[in-house]
Amino acid sequence: MTFGLRGVTVQQGGTTLLHDIDLELSPGTLTAVIGGDGAGKTTLLRSLVGLVAPTSGQVHSTPPGCLGYAGAASGVYRDLTVEENLRFAAAAYRLPRDLIGQRIAELLEVTALAASRARRAAHLSGGMRQKLAFACATMHHPELLVLDEPTTGVDPNSRAELWRLVARTLADGTTAVFSSTYVDEAARADHVLVLDRGRTLTAGPPETIRGGVPGQVVRLDGVTSEAPSWRRGRIRHAWIAPGARRPAGAAPIEPDLEDAVIVAALAASATRHREEAP
Amino acid sequence: MWAMVVKEFRQMRRDHRALALMIALPLLMLVVFGYAASFDVTQVPTRVVGPAAEQAARQLPGILEVVEVRAEQDADEARDALRAGEVPVAVVAGASQVRVLVDGSQLFTARAVAAGLASAAPTVDVEVLFNESLDTAAVMIPGIVGLILVFIGTVITSLGMVRERAAGTLEQLAVLPLRSRDVLVGKIAPYFLVAAVDLTVVVVVGVVLFEVPFNGSPWLLALGSALFLLVTLGVGLLVSSVSESSGQAIQLALMTLLPQVMLSGLIFPLEAMPVAIRSIAYVLPLTYFVEISRAVMVRGADLAAIAEPLLLLLVLGIVVFGAALARTRRDLVPARPRKDPTARQQAGPVTA
Amino acid sequence: MRLLEARELVVRFGSVRAVNGVSLAVMPGEIVGLLGANGSGKTSTIRATLGLARPSAGHVRLFGAAPSAGSRRRLGYVPQTLGLWPDLTVSENLAFIAAAYRTPPPRLPDDLEPVADHIVGRLPLGSRRRVAFEAALAHAPGLLLLDEPTSGVGPLERTALWDRIHVAREQGAGVLVTTHHPSEAEHCDRIIAMVDGRVAMSGTMSALLDGKETVVVTTEHWPEAFTRLTTAFPAVALTGRAVRVPAASMAQVRAALDGTDAHLTVAPATFDEVFATIGRRR
Repeated sequence: MTFGLRGVTVQQGGTTLLHDIDLELSPGTLTAVIGGDGAGKTTLLRSLVGLVAPTSGQVHSTPPGCLGYAGAASGVYRDLTVEENLRFAAAAYRLPRDLIGQRIAELLEVTALAASRARRAAHLSGGMRQKLAFACATMHHPELLVLDEPTTGVDPNSRAELWRLVARTLADGTTAVFSSTYVDEAARADHVLVLDRGRTLTAGPPETIRGGVPGQVVRLDGVTSEAPSWRRGRIRHAWIAPGARRPAGAAPIEPDLEDAVIVAALAASATRHREEAP
Repeated sequence: MWAMVVKEFRQMRRDHRALALMIALPLLMLVVFGYAASFDVTQVPTRVVGPAAEQAARQLPGILEVVEVRAEQDADEARDALRAGEVPVAVVAGASQVRVLVDGSQLFTARAVAAGLASAAPTVDVEVLFNESLDTAAVMIPGIVGLILVFIGTVITSLGMVRERAAGTLEQLAVLPLRSRDVLVGKIAPYFLVAAVDLTVVVVVGVVLFEVPFNGSPWLLALGSALFLLVTLGVGLLVSSVSESSGQAIQLALMTLLPQVMLSGLIFPLEAMPVAIRSIAYVLPLTYFVEISRAVMVRGADLAAIAEPLLLLLVLGIVVFGAALARTRRDLVPARPRKDPTARQQAGPVTA
Repeated sequence: MRLLEARELVVRFGSVRAVNGVSLAVMPGEIVGLLGANGSGKTSTIRATLGLARPSAGHVRLFGAAPSAGSRRRLGYVPQTLGLWPDLTVSENLAFIAAAYRTPPPRLPDDLEPVADHIVGRLPLGSRRRVAFEAALAHAPGLLLLDEPTSGVGPLERTALWDRIHVAREQGAGVLVTTHHPSEAEHCDRIIAMVDGRVAMSGTMSALLDGKETVVVTTEHWPEAFTRLTTAFPAVALTGRAVRVPAASMAQVRAALDGTDAHLTVAPATFDEVFATIGRRR
């Protein structure tokens, strides 16, 4: 195992932020860490880059010089211009002086920020700021790239550009991991880890998660059912647990990744309630 | 490490308020301490009354600067003049003896006069009015009351609106069907009440514990305090309406507080300051409150005596509040959105 | 009755036209999604709707009249920052906002009952969003304006929030949602995409995605393929090891691959792929 976490638990101030997390990051792959607010995504990524020390377990990561990190707050200095941010990152990563100018020019072009090089980061749109954060994090061609919610609040255009940038670094052989609250973003990853309240809800390649839904997922077209259901657009999907009966008139469907994750969450919640029941 | 230094310098260069604080403030302090920080009163305005006034006026020691000779007035009228704050010293030149009346509420002036007379004319009868023991507390505590009011009024209120902006609730306030004046009054009322309670407590403690005299009408003090409080609240509101963060608000509030502490006559007597510095004091609200509180508490002055500072406070209040209201209204009902720290809009030109 | 209508709306800041001739409408019982990058004029359009920005040309009508404090009273708004006071409790927030709308404070739904006296700032984001929704719905508004309503919450909470929105819609409210994301766009009856101050695309999700295809390239030499394709086409991305090239034909992709051995298929385009290419055309 090159990078990753093994049995990592993080406790702070009486709360368990992460519990017994295993995550393997194979070299050259893209991993998605999915979860809602408070699920532990940021804690996990911060453990990986060494900002949080695990209470138990091991973290296998690169030395700081080979690591690129863009935190959720995008780690960009708002008072500085785009170019000044890049220069600071270059200096912080100790890029050889003769290479700095070239690398910055390269990054500015690739991120399409060249026209905004003199603009203060505070005046950039969310998408542009994320691209800048990405540029700063990849300044030194890191072996491991860690991006915390790189596409939250970012419009589709900038999002597409960001993914293109990520793809480029993957093609260069970098290992990358990102976090998101949107399940559909996980579809582009090689490996997915879904967190819920600091615990692993489900993990594996997207296809495996999709195919591993216990029981059945059905479409409720105006049919009422006691089965747990959720809304997808105008229709409702429901989960028929193994052994439960499918209500009449409810057609079974192929679950997508979103359905699979919701089912996993529902299953975990049902287990929790059973355990808590007197 | 060098990169860190460069980065900090660049950020600092852009933070105009911090720069102002770091450069302007030391300069200000230097000027003040250079010129204003003096307890040495060299010239005291004096009125000479009584039958032998003309003659006495010519023979007075240098420290007493004769500004008026009113032979027709007597000792009682001279005392009234002192109470009204018209002059700090009056010389009653009677037929047989000379008596010097000194206003004890003007502490350093009084001490300078007493010292000057002790060396130049030791036999002259000196009567200290209003603060006979020349007690510092009696003179300082009324001023400290003002200081507390400035602190609450400006520093704490300034955080009020900024908190809304920082939490993003300013947007919500703008959209909710509330009138701007409802918001403003609602914001100020609790602070006003708390400050009023604080004021009462401090005055009571001062009188009881420190034996500060309270010779005048509590209603007059209440009137002066209310007006002063409104002005400082207005300043606080104005500060918060131009600040983007609580850090900025505190910085700005402190920048309005510091000159008031140093130049209002609270610590250093106005009489000891050169005219140029003293004129700054006259746009500071605390200056007027110090005057009013000392006049009412120590001297027992009446409404007529404090009418002028009250009026000036009122004018200051109208100006400050008007500005604060205008700024707040702009926040709540903007015709165009202001640049705010949470803005997601691109500030560059949008080409069609 | 049109709950909200903008007709050739222009909003200017100095010489800049943030909104440059936008027309849209929201009817009762429908959910309209407003999509657009920062700088697209989306935010300014919403501000004009709220009466917080004055139109330089064209007009905005809220419930048939120019936006005013009166018409705002029939509006429910949840800003991106939620509009809740973090140092007050849930009940206190709801009481204040309801009072401002001159309506009695709403009864808390069952799942929020336990946190009624909790300080809002200490609640997790999902709960805060629920509270913000309840606050906006307390006065039974005819029009709901929601700015990125489910940003930052997990999948299960997201569907719960949308359930709440649909309940309001079923009761007759019209909803205008700003969104960046397909999983929110799928709830909308209509999507309006803004670019550079104008409406670039408008229609139902299915209509907008209909017929749009992406060429999928699977090959062992994926880094090479990706590098070749990304220089030739915009919006090229990786999904796992497959390279996806939207808005291109198989022939074009084959040509750009320049002999690299690869297997090409065609798949329906995703939301992101369709919308990413709109802005590019400008």
